[in-house]
Amino acid sequence: MEPINKEYDVIVIGGGITGAGTARDCAMRGLKVLLLERFDYSYGATGRNHGLLHSGARYAVTDKESATECIQENMTLRKVARHCVEETDGLFITLPEDDLAYQKTFVEACQAAGIRADVIDPEEAKRLEPSVNPTLIGAVRIPDASIDPFRLTMANIYDAQLHGAEALTYHEVTDLIINQNRVEGVKAFDHHARINREFRAKVVINAAGIWGTLIAQKAGVTVNMFPARGALLIFGHRVNNMVINRCRKPANADILVPDDTVCVIGTTSDRVPMETVDDMRVTPQEVEVLLREGEKLAPALATTRILRAYAGVRPLVAADNDPSGRSISRGIVCLDHETRDGLAGFITITGGKMMTYRLMAEDATNMACQKLGINKQCETATTPLPGSEVPAEEPAKKTVAIKAAEGRHGNLTKAIAQTTDIVDDALVCECEHVSVSEVNFALDNLHVSNLVNLRRRTRVGMGTCQGELCATRAAGVMCRKQEQAPEVKADLASFINERWKGVQPVAWGDNMAEAQLTATIYEGLCGLNQFAGKEELK
Amino acid sequence: MKFNTVVMGGGLTGLTCGIALAKAGQRVAVVAAGQSSLLFASGSFDLLGYDAQGAPVTNPVEAIKALPEGHPYNKVGDVESLAAQAQELLAEAGIKTSGKANANHKRLTPIGAVKPTWLTLDGYLTLDGDTLPYKKVALMNVIGYLDFPTKFIADGLRQLGADVEVKPITLPELNEARKSPTEMRATNIAKVLGNEDIVLRLAAEINAKAGDADAILLPAVLGIKEDVLAQLLKKQVNKPMHYVATIPPSVPGARMQMLLRKRFEALGGTFLNGDKVVAGKLEGGKLVSVETEKLVGSKLEADNFVLATGSFMGRGLVSDYEKVYEPVFGLDVDYIAERPQWTRDNVFEAQPYMEFGVKTDAQLHAMKDGNVLSNVYAAGQVLGGNNKVKLASGEGVDMLTALAVAKNILK
Repeated sequence: MEPINKEYDVIVIGGGITGAGTARDCAMRGLKVLLLERFDYSYGATGRNHGLLHSGARYAVTDKESATECIQENMTLRKVARHCVEETDGLFITLPEDDLAYQKTFVEACQAAGIRADVIDPEEAKRLEPSVNPTLIGAVRIPDASIDPFRLTMANIYDAQLHGAEALTYHEVTDLIINQNRVEGVKAFDHHARINREFRAKVVINAAGIWGTLIAQKAGVTVNMFPARGALLIFGHRVNNMVINRCRKPANADILVPDDTVCVIGTTSDRVPMETVDDMRVTPQEVEVLLREGEKLAPALATTRILRAYAGVRPLVAADNDPSGRSISRGIVCLDHETRDGLAGFITITGGKMMTYRLMAEDATNMACQKLGINKQCETATTPLPGSEVPAEEPAKKTVAIKAAEGRHGNLTKAIAQTTDIVDDALVCECEHVSVSEVNFALDNLHVSNLVNLRRRTRVGMGTCQGELCATRAAGVMCRKQEQAPEVKADLASFINERWKGVQPVAWGDNMAEAQLTATIYEGLCGLNQFAGKEELK
Repeated sequence: MKFNTVVMGGGLTGLTCGIALAKAGQRVAVVAAGQSSLLFASGSFDLLGYDAQGAPVTNPVEAIKALPEGHPYNKVGDVESLAAQAQELLAEAGIKTSGKANANHKRLTPIGAVKPTWLTLDGYLTLDGDTLPYKKVALMNVIGYLDFPTKFIADGLRQLGADVEVKPITLPELNEARKSPTEMRATNIAKVLGNEDIVLRLAAEINAKAGDADAILLPAVLGIKEDVLAQLLKKQVNKPMHYVATIPPSVPGARMQMLLRKRFEALGGTFLNGDKVVAGKLEGGKLVSVETEKLVGSKLEADNFVLATGSFMGRGLVSDYEKVYEPVFGLDVDYIAERPQWTRDNVFEAQPYMEFGVKTDAQLHAMKDGNVLSNVYAAGQVLGGNNKVKLASGEGVDMLTALAVAKNILK
């Protein structure tokens, strides 16, 4: 065990968007912060959703409180996370099989929650969004948008660090250090160095998403979570330019979101046992539901190539007085375990949604500040994230790669632009226009230790080819020292396997042809299988 | 238009079959859709690199005898003589190789792995045992060229007992090409290096950077058209020099594609490039004629037809949500009905779909609705029962089944 050489004000457990936002908020209020992430940032539900900046309309009828939170955060994130948001607007469409009377209920509920909801003519809807199902009989325009959860998380981490926070990936909390009913720190296993470490803090915030229930258990308290698994499909190009929703009570596969160069249909929603939350493979049944329902939003999906399938688990929470879980809300749950369970120094922040992460972070940080006797206001609603400040001076010459990088990192690309020469400008990933210098930027600044990390930061391997050629190039650039070569080759094998995991559930048609091509190149030509066997990159 | 044989597919299989038939005096048409799997060529030809259990093979001729019954090699007849015929066919097309069907040698892959193989193009690095014939090598790469991961290759070379120094090289023309970030692909670099003057300067650059190495290793980015240039470079460089395969697109593959096509045309063959067969007329268990995408209103008639359209990646086989099918004639296909059984969870396991393919009889006749089509043959990767990736058997199955079909047609 490593000696304890540092004491923090706050340890945040979890590197999803909630943990990242909480670490940033705490650091901005002057606290000494350490964030610990089990694997990589956005590994859990943060990296496995639609990438939808909800207007709140989806919840307006059934959950007004969530809807109100959503629209407020929607407007806030458009300002402070400008470089992560694409302002697309959205439609709620009524199909012949749906009840048009629901539209009225829906619009009234939206207005009550403060969400702009304009009923438009179906013809107007077709003009605005040509991919929409032409048989629609009703449409409402609402302020949905698309947001990049990977970028958003990294911008929060990056800013937390600029404010003095420390953050460690691949550090899995194995236990809490408890002394006389007070949490005084955590024990964590460093997956890279393969050693145990101890970290001390006055307050520990559990922001571990669905895994938060296990963290609570380690602290000897109970947080009733209900793992709700949702599967999604990514299509090979951007079919729609506006978010398309079904105007009915929330159901399976009724949201289609344009994200960057692709679009995403989802989700299913199934209660799953806690033991299965680490098994993210999508089933044939889930694929069938998503395809069948998805085509009703935009018929073109029937003939569009599916790139891959993925699934995440929502951390839904049952109220304390409802251990059966019947009344599950999407609302924010911020638990002070001192008043609730008599365990001082421990806070759980959970429930909520990616959309409301900033509010969740604010609640948790307020509670931590109160415990620490700090009286400082939250400023995250008004302070832009790094990359979203007003654009600084433009780089003299903008290459395709620089423009693409701007989309990913906002005006952080200044750092990329300044180091660019013709060698650094070479494209690693042609689908997503990722240059050598962007890979180097990510390696130096964004906690990248393997190819999956790199994918989450830069979109390498996320495009149409799913890493067919770019993965080797990226691995070659990542291998900075000769002695790293065996390790990076093993990573490459693991990365190709990780990509396959998402393709396998949809392996027919062009995907089957591409899979065979990938096997021909990586196993046949290159012999990459000789380096396989390393555990899955997470 | 009337031919003796129409071959559908213009890759290694189709051209091998076309050349063999044309050489025997037949009037042959090859319909080629476009790029073939030669685009992913390693510079070597595999016959059988691994047995069905995954163990490396030293003598392919012997090991082939132990392959499962459904493997296409069981339908070609005398493997050793066909293998010799294949090597000769390549040589006659200007593709000079070394290797033996009864003794594999080894090749170095673009990421520094070592794999057993049958034939390797002259000029490419090969290993006889598990060691390199050099103590110290200079591994050179063009600055900014990312499809040749030198650290991975150096790692492989070190494990073979060699001392390796990585040396970046460049020329003003390459610096110019680099300004367009998508230009740095093997085939583009080969075009930039496509004249005598530049090759002489490249040789000077290589000599200047070689240091005290015993040999020079270069990415295979030279000689897409003119073998003369590759020869010239070899002559000008004052140390032994070998090419190592790159990540695709493959320069040796593009060159072989061109040379095979030239040879076929020189023998009087008709090469219909950028076209594909879309339909056919079947009569009494025989194919009478086929229609292509481009030859609107006219048909290709022939006594015999050869399907050499490849597997899924060549679109010779197509799958959808429910089934696997042969898209041109709806020929009978061997595959597993349940889609979840097509694949396995780990990408490096033997994937069942790799062995799907059209059904044939012992003479490689294709079948439709359970009946043999007496003048339609199948060859190459469109055949089932062969996992070319696991067995390292791709080029061997392509060429040997193509030659076997040609032989059956000429009978």
